[in-house]
Amino acid sequence: MFGLYLHIPFCEKKCSYCDFYSIESLAHVDRFTDVLLQEIDLRRDQYSGAMATSVFFGGGTPSLLSPKAIGRINERLRETIHIGESAEWTMECNPGTVTLDRLEAYHATGINRLSFGVQSFTASELAFLDRIHDADQAEQAMVLARKAGFRNVNMDLMFAVPGQTIETLTHNLECMVALQPDHISAYSLIYEHGTPLYAKLKKGLVQPLPEEVDVEMYKLVIDTLRSAGYHQYEVSNFAKPGFECKHNLTYWHAANYLAYGPSAHGFVGTTRYWNKRSLTSWMQDVSNGTLPEANREELTPQDLLSEFLFLHLRADGIPLHDVQSKFNIDLRKHLHPNLQYWIDEGFINDANNVLSLTAEGYRVCDELTVKILGTRY
Amino acid sequence: MINGGERQEHKTTQFGSVSDQWVRLSGECLELREILDSRFRRKDIRCSAPGTRHLSVRHSALGTRCSLLPYLCSLMQNYRNFCIIAHIDHGKSTLADRLLERTGRVSAREMTMNQILDDNPLEQERGITIKLHAIQMDYKTNNGETYKLNLIDTPGHVDFSYEVSRSLSACEGALLVVDATQGVEAQTISNLFMAIDQGLEIIPVINKIDLPSAVTTIDNVKKQVMDLIGCKEEDMILASAKAGIGIDEILEAVVDRIPPPKGDPKAPLRALIYDSVFDAYRGVIVYVRVIDGTMKEKDKILFMATGQTYELDEVGVLFMQRQRTGVLSAGDVGYFTAAIRKLQDTKVGDTVTLASNPTTQMISGFREVKPMVFSGIYPADSDDFEDLREALGKLSLNDSAITFEPESSSALGFGFRCGFLGLLHMEIVQERLEREFNQTIVTTVPNVQYKVITTRDEVLWVDNPAQLPNPTLINEIQEPYIRAQIIAPSEYVGTIMKLCMERRGQMLGQSYLSADRVDMTFELPLGEVVFDFYDKLKSNTRGYASLDYEYADYKAGELVRMDILLNGEQVDALSSIVHRQKAHEWGKKLCTKLKELIPRQMFDVAIQAAIGAKIIARESISAMRKNVLAKCYGGDISRKRKLIEKQKEGKKRMKQVGKVEIPQEAFHAVLSLD
Repeated sequence: MFGLYLHIPFCEKKCSYCDFYSIESLAHVDRFTDVLLQEIDLRRDQYSGAMATSVFFGGGTPSLLSPKAIGRINERLRETIHIGESAEWTMECNPGTVTLDRLEAYHATGINRLSFGVQSFTASELAFLDRIHDADQAEQAMVLARKAGFRNVNMDLMFAVPGQTIETLTHNLECMVALQPDHISAYSLIYEHGTPLYAKLKKGLVQPLPEEVDVEMYKLVIDTLRSAGYHQYEVSNFAKPGFECKHNLTYWHAANYLAYGPSAHGFVGTTRYWNKRSLTSWMQDVSNGTLPEANREELTPQDLLSEFLFLHLRADGIPLHDVQSKFNIDLRKHLHPNLQYWIDEGFINDANNVLSLTAEGYRVCDELTVKILGTRY
Repeated sequence: MINGGERQEHKTTQFGSVSDQWVRLSGECLELREILDSRFRRKDIRCSAPGTRHLSVRHSALGTRCSLLPYLCSLMQNYRNFCIIAHIDHGKSTLADRLLERTGRVSAREMTMNQILDDNPLEQERGITIKLHAIQMDYKTNNGETYKLNLIDTPGHVDFSYEVSRSLSACEGALLVVDATQGVEAQTISNLFMAIDQGLEIIPVINKIDLPSAVTTIDNVKKQVMDLIGCKEEDMILASAKAGIGIDEILEAVVDRIPPPKGDPKAPLRALIYDSVFDAYRGVIVYVRVIDGTMKEKDKILFMATGQTYELDEVGVLFMQRQRTGVLSAGDVGYFTAAIRKLQDTKVGDTVTLASNPTTQMISGFREVKPMVFSGIYPADSDDFEDLREALGKLSLNDSAITFEPESSSALGFGFRCGFLGLLHMEIVQERLEREFNQTIVTTVPNVQYKVITTRDEVLWVDNPAQLPNPTLINEIQEPYIRAQIIAPSEYVGTIMKLCMERRGQMLGQSYLSADRVDMTFELPLGEVVFDFYDKLKSNTRGYASLDYEYADYKAGELVRMDILLNGEQVDALSSIVHRQKAHEWGKKLCTKLKELIPRQMFDVAIQAAIGAKIIARESISAMRKNVLAKCYGGDISRKRKLIEKQKEGKKRMKQVGKVEIPQEAFHAVLSLD
């Protein structure tokens, strides 16, 4: 597994909860593409020659780049990096701004997976989240995507949104399942530091939903999506069989990825780097021919083990055989006797030598993570 | 730092007349001619005047035998041994510093650095003195005579009252320092009475007279002091150690009023051990006051209480540092080393004599120091057990009072049951383990030692509640009592009575020190005092009450063991022995407290308090509902990893009992019950 991530830091309107780097000024959109192409060149040395299995345009709102621009970027990627025939090629889209022509044009550049930030089908919730689309546009986006030839579409859903009720969430889920996306990411709203939403929370202008409602909603999400044929393969991610997001699994399987664009994080070998979180400084560095990195970290064997375990655990489970071969650790032995208890209590599944979380387990994933990583090796 | 100045000082001090060539020694020197002979060449000694007992030593020879000077000085009888009795914060350390400064023992510059006597950072932090020290000063009186003053420091806390009594025995007089704005406190009174019992000359000093509020309080304080020791108003010295007022008067009074030490340097050796410290290079350094006789290097000595013999390595007196003199004789305060490996081999209060010519009269007042308060100390990480053992071993090198024995607990694993003199001592040990020895420890609720009479009339001493035998095998449980003296403003009488009654206390007496100051005596079970009694007393009286206590007898009580169960499993480290009538209340409070302290787990937790099979209180902690962050992509991984690392550290400080994780604070939760 090897992924490529490109961060497109532009939005027509920033959402109050979002902590990804983006700016509302589109002044530099055109120059951005040129600089991004330069960064792809600059990072050529880091490329190991491995075949890329996924490409992901995230943001921000990547669909603010024209199909032509996306085409140029894809072309440059192909020239620089060996990208597999069956690579997953994702672009995040705002459902409010898509047209059939545009989607077809993106498809023609090689994009084969779309990810729509739908979040909700309830007007008041969309307003709360500062989304610029409405429920109809979300439905329309799905229709257009299929028409344009996309056989792999994700939709994002958000729950535990202030004002949301079990009824509205049920409605949202019904609407979403009716559209039959191939993949659904369903997130409990996080109050991220530094976001306008967080500021409102601190000022007492926003009342988070009580924990028990959050829990109930999470259960509702899991139950509804599971019974609709989506299987959960990560804390917040559900897919029809075979449609698990390869790119995200690259992160969760602690595999390597190159990353481009301001604020993007890459991981090569045992090094993690992250680009500057400023469009202008990123552009300046790249234009000067220097890597636009804010910093790097070298992971110790202990760090690598920690990441391997906690990332796998929150996704589709810890493969014990790999832990043994990569880190020379008999995890099952180390986790004794707690492991048996977690299995008995229904937090963990133990099948095919993989320890994966049950629905109950996902709910307390971070607690189990600390317990497992806190065990001496 | 001082050494450079020593030589100069001594040449010009009290050798009577210092001629160009000869230093005349006045006093009872002739008996020690023998010692002088061994130290100086014949031609360097002469009789000052035929037919007298006065000796002179050649000046030039003194220069080369400088280390003998303090010893020679001691022959003069021009010295005084004294200590300071004061309540915490009444200014003892400041006054001591001022005396040292005034007598040139330390410079003003050094003074500003810190208070000299409290050289342990923990002591400085707590504003109290734990270990004893002594220091010798030279003081030139107004009429030009020079005296050697030995200031012997005393610890300022109730846990160390035996040590205080021993250091008082090393003195002929004491400065009673009372804060002009605070008045007499319980601690001061008990130490004062100890000093009076031992026949010490008391010099009352009213300190902090420069404080503005002293204007209104000083007359009252003076009256308290006069009533207490029956002195006249003019006997009291008005001072401010901070502002340097009255320092000369105090020094003059020390010389004038405190008698010189008595004792016969030719009698069999009797020296009182009043303190000892461990030094990594020299072994134990023993601090002594020589009552009779003479001890010199190479002498073979005998510790009378332990029966052990040693050969004296090094003998000397104490300035800012130790100053080797080779000899100590009657009246002297000084130190010796004798290749003693363990602090426990020297017992405070023991009598040192010569093995070859032992005294028949042991110095009275010696007793074995016994721990009164016990607590389990466990490594936070069970792998660190051996480290903890080593740390306790090292710590006990310079704390002879602590005892420790390995024990194990199903909740906490392997650890030690440690015995302490009292609560402060316990806290000090715990803090030293963490700070000086870098140990992360879990401590259990302190308890006292119970005397259990079994149905077969055997006596068992139980210092760990979990080890109390089955009730059917117990005939009687006895617990230690204390006699507590509490002094406070009279407005708090009701509050204090209430607190003491709650703690099963009984009032033995009450008297008024002045119109608005009351002195109360209670008998209380020690087991009730080890639970935050002192803190309660302080907070309920806005800090005005002071407490002193002495151990009284063991008495039978209706005591039961209360266990704590988590999800049905007994947590041995949380068991306690309580009075039957208070068990329900305790159980309820403890369960509530544990509910606060134990975080939610992945399942419900039932907390129960039980006496035998009977549940007397219960609480429950419902399972954590959700603990997962929804999002984790490329940019979140590092942060998340670091967060997990931090949480792992937090988990490390938890102990797992069955499946329940218990934070370490829970093991002494009882201490903060309201």
